[in-house]
Amino acid sequence: MSALSRYRVPVGLLVLVVALRPVVAHQWLLGFGQIATSMLIWMLFVAAFNLLFGFTGLLSFGHAMFFGFGMYGVAIAVARLDLPFVVGAVVGVAFAAAFGNLLGRLIVEKGEIYFAMLTLAVGEAVYFVVNRNPLGLTGGSNGISQNALPPWVETFRGQKSVVLPFAEVEWYWVVAVVFLLCMLALWQLLRSPFGRSLVAVRENEGLARAMGMNVDRYKIASFTASGALASIAGVLLEINTQGASIETFGVLTSGDAVLMAVLGGVNYFFGPVAGVFVWQFTAEYLSSFRMLNLPTTELALVSVDVSGVLQHWRFLLGALFVAVVLLSPKDGVWGALRDGVRVAAARFREVRR
Amino acid sequence: MNGNDPSFAREATDAVRGRLGSLTPAAWALLVISLAVLAFAFAVRPGLFVDNAIGGLVYGMILVMIALGLSLILGLMGVVNFAHGALFMLGAYFAYQVVGAMGLSFWAALVVAPVAVGAVGLAMEVTVLRRIYDQDPIIGLLATFGLTLMVQEAVRAVWGAAPLGFDVPRALQGGTDLGVTTVGTFRIFTVLVATVAVVAVYLLISRTDFGLTVRAGVQDDEMTEFLGVDLPLRFTAMFCLGAAIAGLGGVLRAAESGLGTGMGQTFVILAFVVVVVGGVGSLFGSVVSGILIGEATFMTPVVLTALSAATGVAAFDVSGIQGLVPYLVMITVLLVRPRGLFGEEGLME
Repeated sequence: MSALSRYRVPVGLLVLVVALRPVVAHQWLLGFGQIATSMLIWMLFVAAFNLLFGFTGLLSFGHAMFFGFGMYGVAIAVARLDLPFVVGAVVGVAFAAAFGNLLGRLIVEKGEIYFAMLTLAVGEAVYFVVNRNPLGLTGGSNGISQNALPPWVETFRGQKSVVLPFAEVEWYWVVAVVFLLCMLALWQLLRSPFGRSLVAVRENEGLARAMGMNVDRYKIASFTASGALASIAGVLLEINTQGASIETFGVLTSGDAVLMAVLGGVNYFFGPVAGVFVWQFTAEYLSSFRMLNLPTTELALVSVDVSGVLQHWRFLLGALFVAVVLLSPKDGVWGALRDGVRVAAARFREVRR
Repeated sequence: MNGNDPSFAREATDAVRGRLGSLTPAAWALLVISLAVLAFAFAVRPGLFVDNAIGGLVYGMILVMIALGLSLILGLMGVVNFAHGALFMLGAYFAYQVVGAMGLSFWAALVVAPVAVGAVGLAMEVTVLRRIYDQDPIIGLLATFGLTLMVQEAVRAVWGAAPLGFDVPRALQGGTDLGVTTVGTFRIFTVLVATVAVVAVYLLISRTDFGLTVRAGVQDDEMTEFLGVDLPLRFTAMFCLGAAIAGLGGVLRAAESGLGTGMGQTFVILAFVVVVVGGVGSLFGSVVSGILIGEATFMTPVVLTALSAATGVAAFDVSGIQGLVPYLVMITVLLVRPRGLFGEEGLME
């Protein structure tokens, strides 16, 4: 039991990866499993964002740029320069880390509100540069969609698979392995002395400084690591969407990361995971919902066409988000779930006694 | 948030004098060089120069109208109101509803739209913002971000995502001759309306009892309430005022350039840039930096084109640089003077 509780994060991640697709694809839920892949990618991206926001206390409103760096790194290398995929991925991730580091040095000491606004403005500036199609590399507003897949990815009827020398592996499992590796690295990072120091910075910056910690250095390191992880998610997204699109760099992408993280619960390791699941699942579920049949689908007495209302699901999720921020900004869905489980367990114990 | 007395004229002259006195030789050199380059660009093509100078002024005044409300709310209540861009956009769409859809006069829209936006601001303040004044500023940013999302989706639901536009009255169409060039009459009208709005806010805050009690509340809210001032009421009124000015800006912007669902987001980011460059907590700084950024955005291409034509170096003529200019200005200002042009040290840090 102690081993299970000690390793509950790796076990939880493993269960997530194995169970996500069958659960989502169940006919009572969505009925199709393709979205599970993009969910995993987004989970990695939002978890990277949350390393900075939830565990260091810095709100970045421009995290989409790191997502985009990874994506465009691969797309430019494969589609424009005929370089191997690995070169593009490494350059993209390295560029994201370097950019995060330099930007961090410039703005990390400015206080949290300034940090949020500055990342927002820098993200917007990056969007602008990419949109101008410098040197004909980024494709401007069209993005990169021609020949943007590396040769070892095969597409058959919308299903992607990766051809390895010895076998052919479904794309979902490749994403799952990368996701697991990155999330485990993140978990190790967070429970290391370094990760504890980040939490100390978040909780009480003045105290951390008084204890002799170089607070700015920790923040810069966190920004760098977060940017690098986010760009790895971007690399995966490039293959998943078969190219790079300018929307990835947009302020809406950054905003979505903030929304999902807060919705899930920024104080928990699994918060971003829960947030992405709730957000994307709700979005898909509501926008595929057409007729509300009461009481059941087979025995419909009242049928209401709700597609007109539900296609504006962003309004509902925005309202939910505002409510979460007002009621408990740090706990979110995952925190509520934990509390619920804890209360239920206590009651169960009482009943058994 | 103490000590940010938002008064202009007296403080402004002092601030400018102090700023000029404390310039380093490098800054002087920069000033002289940029003036020389501007004069050169004027000499090359005076018509284009004046055109862009007025364009920059109009753009700058729109930015000022958003940044003013943002700066007011930030200075008074310590909330970074992300939803301010959404209010700006709502002003534009309300004006479209009045003029384009209902066929009423533009003059009616000029009054109705800001009032309606003020009412939306009132609803936001009472339901959401009032709960977060005492909390971490990040909470305010997040909550207003959620509000932005709701407003944007509501606008998309009611008016659709396609770009729209409406006509201005005949009196404001056409151009006014300024000697070297002809300038659209509506642009001059925009500058006039914006100036009136800014001066009115200044007078309200610096010359009336209402403004006095608001300023007192910013200094020491507890003591002010002991003296019998209803502070929540005043904060609500200030929020409404900020929202209405942003709405007015939206009306003016939409009449000239049309409206779309992305305009709020674009402008709120630029307004953040304006507030950061001007210095958080200084209304005067917001006005100066708004005009500065508007002018910089429009003058940079003119200057670069003139330079590249004169020197024959094509590399000077960077097309599309203007969208990047506000951010370049901001990064430069933050590197040289982190608190902004007229900001106080230590505020919001």
